[in-house]
Amino acid sequence: MSKAALPDWAITLLAALLVLALWVGVTSGGLVRDLFLPGPLDVWSGLQDLLDEGYKGRSLFEHIGMSLMRVLAGFLTGALAGTALGLAMGYLRPVDALASPFIEFLRPLPQLAYLVLLIVWLGIDESSKITMLFLAALPVSAIAARDGVRNVVPERVRAAQALGASPWQVFRYVIAPGALPEILTGARLAAGIVYGTLIAAEIIAGSSGIGWMILDAGRFLRSDYVFAGILIIGIAGFGIDRLLLWLERRVVHWAGK
Amino acid sequence: MTTIMTTRRAVLAGMGGLGALALAGRIARAAAPSAVNVGFFTETKPTMIAKGEGWFDDAVKAKITWTEMGSGAEINTAITAGSCDIGLATGSVATAAAIAQGLPLQLIGMVDNIGPGEELVVRASAGLKTPADFKGKKLATPFGSTSHFRLLGFLKTNDLTQRDVTVLDMKPAAIDAAWSRGEIDGAYVWSPAKAKLLASGGELYKTWDVLEKAGYVIADLIVVRTGFVQSYPDAVSAFLGAYGKALDMYRQKPDEAAAIVAKQAGVSASVAAADLKEYDFISLKDQLTPRWLGAPGQPGKFAETLKSTADFLVAQKSIKSAPALDAFQKATRTEFLAKASA
Repeated sequence: MSKAALPDWAITLLAALLVLALWVGVTSGGLVRDLFLPGPLDVWSGLQDLLDEGYKGRSLFEHIGMSLMRVLAGFLTGALAGTALGLAMGYLRPVDALASPFIEFLRPLPQLAYLVLLIVWLGIDESSKITMLFLAALPVSAIAARDGVRNVVPERVRAAQALGASPWQVFRYVIAPGALPEILTGARLAAGIVYGTLIAAEIIAGSSGIGWMILDAGRFLRSDYVFAGILIIGIAGFGIDRLLLWLERRVVHWAGK
Repeated sequence: MTTIMTTRRAVLAGMGGLGALALAGRIARAAAPSAVNVGFFTETKPTMIAKGEGWFDDAVKAKITWTEMGSGAEINTAITAGSCDIGLATGSVATAAAIAQGLPLQLIGMVDNIGPGEELVVRASAGLKTPADFKGKKLATPFGSTSHFRLLGFLKTNDLTQRDVTVLDMKPAAIDAAWSRGEIDGAYVWSPAKAKLLASGGELYKTWDVLEKAGYVIADLIVVRTGFVQSYPDAVSAFLGAYGKALDMYRQKPDEAAAIVAKQAGVSASVAAADLKEYDFISLKDQLTPRWLGAPGQPGKFAETLKSTADFLVAQKSIKSAPALDAFQKATRTEFLAKASA
């Protein structure tokens, strides 16, 4: 530690100010064209424009709402199904043997790889977009839940059994709570992946959603809209992550202690 | 402290590097380029003859690197980034946007007036006979394309809004898939997707002639990076010359031309021959007339088309603003056409 150590918040603030100053400096001097890097004021007026008039037939909030609806639907279905599957995989060996090759194959697969297949199978409506997000959330949640179950201290299970607990009671009162911290960590990971897959999902026959808006605006370098969209998507993503973190700390307050 | 010093040194070194690059760019002004990057689309046009027979390579006296592009907007971006020198048969909508935005490219020639080559295809069973029938229907088109521009023109001239008709952004391959699943009622697109739709329960809903009269002219163009135009004017003329030669061959020996085009595009010779007939290819000499690009010092009418296209894009909020007509005239460089057709 050097003697002039700054508190963490000051370092964060300084870094943010430095980036902002660089941004203003580079853009206001006419060093780069606003097509390539719009200045803060350009982005601000672009955002106001979007708020006032919307983007291509829909209001900005409609676009944001569509995106959040897709993320929520894909995340909830994917995380729930994945967790249920993962718990079964962790508790029952045959289920693990059956499902894990598919889960392990799906997990690292880029979603864009099966984009066309989803369109052919499910069409261009919401179902294909949400399925894509579902498939993004499923494997991460499943693996987190399975590992959570595996990491439950065996003595606790044996103690419960010695006290006469049925297999269901062992699962309900020992395994499930024991796996909960990892399940929630998995859920947060899954939310991040779903969110990251959103733009890919909105490539499918778009005309709505904040991800589609960014793609469409980027086509002819409407960089002010692109930046505004990135800001929105970034802030919303941060919000979602914090919300899940808060939930995690509240529900499994004992974790890590 | 030391870390700050290092960073500053790194920044300075980086800036020095940039300066050296700029200098190198200035020095590299030679008669013939060492390598040429051409962005293109695989399509059934005479351009494919010159590509397949190596005439373009011979013309620019360099090895051409061909990169298949997904859209005219991609060509704009690649040219701006300096990774593409020539955009072959890019759409007039993307080019109008590029000129309006002051991107570093110039229009040096045309390939075709699209005319009926891109058209609205509707499901025959959907019973779409008048514009009012389109209310509540789903139409697909690749956004930002010439087809998209025409479709929006069709809606606008018939007082339909994007609330009345759902317009979906899809690539041609996705249009094909969605059509076969019965999810869209129509699409504004080009062949081969257009031909496939027509072959599987689609029929033409003719819009092009009325739209063309209303000013929604769309064309396929040849654009070149401004830096390339300045450094290698001879290569630019020669490139156009090679295309002119291919067009002549198509006119004189259509069957032989169709066979070469078919091989390049990966379709059968009969499909290529049929597709080739859909486009109104404009000879280099005709491009120099006032109806199209015009001659050096006498800008043609096409600059007005580009200007009105750009104004439309501004109204659509696809681009921020469009300059006056003379910006489009200045970005159209016809001296290379004049030289190539002389």
